[in-house]
Amino acid sequence: MSRPLQLLPSLRRLLATVARSVGIFVPVFLVATFVTFALRSLSGLSPARLQLGEQATPEAIAAVEGQWGLDRPFLTQYAAWLGGVLRGDLGTSWVNGTDVATLIRLGLGVSLSVAALALVIGVVGGVALGTAAGLRPTSRVDRAVTALTTVLSVLPGFVVGIILVAVLAVGLGLFPSAGYAPLTSGVWPWLAHITLPALALSLDVVADVARQLRTGLVTAYRENYVTGAVVRGLGPRRILTRHVLRNATGPLLAVLGLKFPSLVGAAVVTEWIFGLQGFGRFANDSAQAGDVPAVQGVLVVSIVLVVSFNLVVNVLLGRVTPAAARGV
Amino acid sequence: MVRRVLTLPSGRVAVGVLLAVGLLALVGPLLAPQDPLATTTDALARPSVQHWLGTDSLGRDVLSRLLDGSRVSVVGSLEVVVIALVVGVVPGILSVQLGRVFEWASLRIVDTLIALPFLLFAVAVTALLGNGITQAMVVTGVLVSPLFFRVSRAATLAVARSAYVEAAVISGASVTWVARRHLWSKVLPPIAVAFAQTLGVGFVIVSSLTFLGIGVQPPAPTWGGLLATSLGFLDQQPWAPIAPAALIVATVWASNLLADAIRDVTGEAGRDLLDRRTRRSATAPSLSRTGGTP
Repeated sequence: MSRPLQLLPSLRRLLATVARSVGIFVPVFLVATFVTFALRSLSGLSPARLQLGEQATPEAIAAVEGQWGLDRPFLTQYAAWLGGVLRGDLGTSWVNGTDVATLIRLGLGVSLSVAALALVIGVVGGVALGTAAGLRPTSRVDRAVTALTTVLSVLPGFVVGIILVAVLAVGLGLFPSAGYAPLTSGVWPWLAHITLPALALSLDVVADVARQLRTGLVTAYRENYVTGAVVRGLGPRRILTRHVLRNATGPLLAVLGLKFPSLVGAAVVTEWIFGLQGFGRFANDSAQAGDVPAVQGVLVVSIVLVVSFNLVVNVLLGRVTPAAARGV
Repeated sequence: MVRRVLTLPSGRVAVGVLLAVGLLALVGPLLAPQDPLATTTDALARPSVQHWLGTDSLGRDVLSRLLDGSRVSVVGSLEVVVIALVVGVVPGILSVQLGRVFEWASLRIVDTLIALPFLLFAVAVTALLGNGITQAMVVTGVLVSPLFFRVSRAATLAVARSAYVEAAVISGASVTWVARRHLWSKVLPPIAVAFAQTLGVGFVIVSSLTFLGIGVQPPAPTWGGLLATSLGFLDQQPWAPIAPAALIVATVWASNLLADAIRDVTGEAGRDLLDRRTRRSATAPSLSRTGGTP
């Protein structure tokens, strides 16, 4: 009978994709965490300054730094910290001595809700606009979509955020202008609080998805397989959904993979505008307070988010377009 | 190339807007009708003859603050581009020339920089390194440098392995001649496009940082900072964000327009060298036909 290692071909392909993606992202993770960790040495910040103030004696500073293990060699500290990170231990805040991982978990729900909704709006809006434009290139619809995506892509997220607050929240009173309601308090309050920030984040995604899909559709309709499908007598709807859109999905996923980091990063600004206590706000507050372990924790979490999102994108890419599985 | 960009209407508009913004940065602080830091009792005033754009919550003249803040905002993003150019182009060219180890290492670093949520990193790193404008510029410059790295690497790869360079070298051309004659004309267009794009990106990041109050000390005005203060008084002055937001959007839009115009006049040769991340896709097919003839 079959040997234990002989897996189903599809499962083996999936594992190969995952292994390849991990191979790409391990160096990224190591470089990023090393830079993150080196920040403390570069900044010259110390918990002693936060706890003892400016007039502390050198002995007192040395004692506090010894407590935090900061008198050890740099690489020893890095190894210990990285070991903790891999076990999910992000260290302790210098400001209030709380576990950093706990603090970040508190804000992550807000940030992920907003990012997920922004992705949904971005994909739905972008696919609708892109398909409308790509099906009839050079038509009036196409030109309108092109103009719209051009405008959307030059509007910085924080400008959009302020306009949304000014018009929809303060002006018309349709949405709350600040704050967050967790999902447990009901779907509607939750949606009402995250819609505007998600909208502010999503416009850039809408523009990029729409452009990519438009270009994808226009080039796909010139391909031989479309002509072949027409000759075989397939209807336009079937050609669009089964052949053209399926082929356009790959580049679309790649665009989302590239967009995701900026979606996570922009949380710093949107959460400030909309008064959300997410992890972007936490990063900003901690950074301005000089709380190095907290900042390092947020950065590590953001790297993990980006890396795992790209991992999922790569696996999906492998399934949708097997030919692209070999690329990044 | 400059003259051909100016033959395009979009190129003329882009250059015009950018020159106007640059001029504002040069002379704006001198034009400020009042002291941008002087507080008066006339707080949150509506626009009037005395205060064209009204006053903020501390009674400071908003127009003066807008003009005075233009220098930090504009010069800041120019610095970002120059830093990104140096940090990106030099390793980009060396990655082709210095052998496999350096190539592998530099590519991994660039992969990392692209994967980073860069606004988050810009905020965190700048604040930790002392929260000054120099730190903000250097950090942002490094974070946006992969664009220049990729462009210059691709251009160097294309040129270094081309037959005509080999032919020129064999026929006894000096290195400087080859560089001037073949390399420069190939490398310049994509770098110019990347320059214009980075100008827009850098401007957004610098504005975002100043919006959060990072990289500047409190009383000093910036365009991003003006937006941030307007946010707190939207119910009394709903029009306050319009002026700084319009200036920021106009600058970013002009930078993107310039990038598109350069790409259109330099044609496909320049486009090939830009990867999918830098390519703003073929959204303006009608423009490319009008360019090309000087």
